[in-house]
Amino acid sequence: MSSHQVLLKTEGISRRYGGLMAVSELDMEIRSGEILGLIGPNGAGKSTTFNLISGFVKPTAGKLFIDGKDVTGSNPTQISKLGLVRTFQHGSLMKTLTVHDNILIGAIGAIPPAHSRQREDRVHEAAEMLGLTPFMNEVSGNLPHGVQRLISIAIAYATHPRILCLDEPLTGLNQTEAVNTLNIFRQIRDQLKCSILLVEHNMKAVMQVCERIVVLHHGQLLATGTPTEIRSNQDVVNAYLGAKHAH
Amino acid sequence: MDKREQQSLAKGTIAVLVVAALSLVIKDGYTSNLIIWMAIAALIASSLRFVLLIGELNFATAAFVGLGAYGAGVVLTILEWPFVIALVFSGIVAALIGFLFGYVTLKVKGPFFLLIGFAFTEVVRLIYTKIDIIGSNSGMVGIFPPDLLAPYYPTFAILVVGIMLLMLYKIENSHLGKTFKGIRDNDQVVLAVGINVHMIKVLCLTISAFASGIAGGLMAFVNNVISPGDFSFLLSTFALAYLKVGGEDKPIGPILGAILLVALSTVALSFGGGDHIFFGIAIVLTVLLMPKGIVGLYDKWRQHRKGERAA
Repeated sequence: MSSHQVLLKTEGISRRYGGLMAVSELDMEIRSGEILGLIGPNGAGKSTTFNLISGFVKPTAGKLFIDGKDVTGSNPTQISKLGLVRTFQHGSLMKTLTVHDNILIGAIGAIPPAHSRQREDRVHEAAEMLGLTPFMNEVSGNLPHGVQRLISIAIAYATHPRILCLDEPLTGLNQTEAVNTLNIFRQIRDQLKCSILLVEHNMKAVMQVCERIVVLHHGQLLATGTPTEIRSNQDVVNAYLGAKHAH
Repeated sequence: MDKREQQSLAKGTIAVLVVAALSLVIKDGYTSNLIIWMAIAALIASSLRFVLLIGELNFATAAFVGLGAYGAGVVLTILEWPFVIALVFSGIVAALIGFLFGYVTLKVKGPFFLLIGFAFTEVVRLIYTKIDIIGSNSGMVGIFPPDLLAPYYPTFAILVVGIMLLMLYKIENSHLGKTFKGIRDNDQVVLAVGINVHMIKVLCLTISAFASGIAGGLMAFVNNVISPGDFSFLLSTFALAYLKVGGEDKPIGPILGAILLVALSTVALSFGGGDHIFFGIAIVLTVLLMPKGIVGLYDKWRQHRKGERAA
């Protein structure tokens, strides 16, 4: 599925918090149509990398390119307008709004006010893709955790992103829900012809769904490659995976 | 527009027309003024609630009411322009200053924004006291509606308030209103989908300031006299009391709260300056006993009835 057209690229991107170097001189790229995994132990710099590429945190050094254009220092609104939309690890939805209105916020972000009909169509399309149609009029905060996770993805889907960044979307899901959600990721990628960046602790899921994986360690790039290459990379095994994932 | 919204708008329009028609038959000046006061108080409290849609308590509401009142006073008595222009200007001047105020201050949230609003209200009030042309401490006098309109002014004021309330309701239920609520719940998600959260918040405050300004303009024409002391932070506190007592979850809440508290405060006034204590007690009791206000109490009762019927 993946081609080699690079949609997003970081060059030596770094972020320092006082004396702590959260991300250090990271070079990575997201290619058109791929599902890319971003993994690493706690404190490896995954969330900071996510914040850097989505404009929520400004880099202290290095550059960010989208479609070959230097967008370093752009704010989240500007980055989103270029087609990169993200979810959040904790609380990625608006709890007092209905499921319909949650997804509508995504459609509002992408479609101008003059096309309100189109916004509604987009809401229904996203709800159908994520299996949320039966919950449309429910207040999102009252729904089970698994459904709330899907709502947060539906909000991002409604923007029709070119790069969809998902921050630990499987956390708290049971095995069946996780498997279903992974299938949904593939469907989204195929439907929108978009790329997906997946930050996830569930290694089995990452190995199963991602075509390439970037491994961070202490804020630095440790390895990058296909799941098979990552499994057999001794540095990764030592630092993170442990023996059980190597086979 | 969905069916429920259509029904609510229709009910609201009928209610406004009924009250306006009632005001035509009421010949007692005191009662007429009381109805206007309730209407203006409802509009001020609804403006305060409107900014709560983005999750901020706007204590600058009193300043915008004052700017509207002084705007109308300046246009009518100093520039000697017509009444209609004075009233429209009252909304526009408040909206323009609201836009600037919001643009600068809405980068902060919660208690910080509340304190800035409080300080802004007091600074604007002090500025009035330093400007001689608008009467400094004594305020402005002679702000009358045209002779032809004067007998029907209560009806006119109720209609204007009604139009403003329906406009606020319509915006709240639009995609823009849903964006306001989205920002209140989780501004990071709204930002992440490409919406300029800051400018949307500024727009919300500007619309609210316009409504507050119109309330101020209407107030100036009822009282005929305005002075800086009318627009202190206490006005925002009263609006908060109307809102808390009525309930902030639904647009009808501040209207009910305003009607009830303005009616009761006329009793409190007879104790001589006791109305401030009265409003304070009202807020405390409501927060303690019915945190969702009258509307919340009604909803609870309705749910209870529903449960009984189902059983």
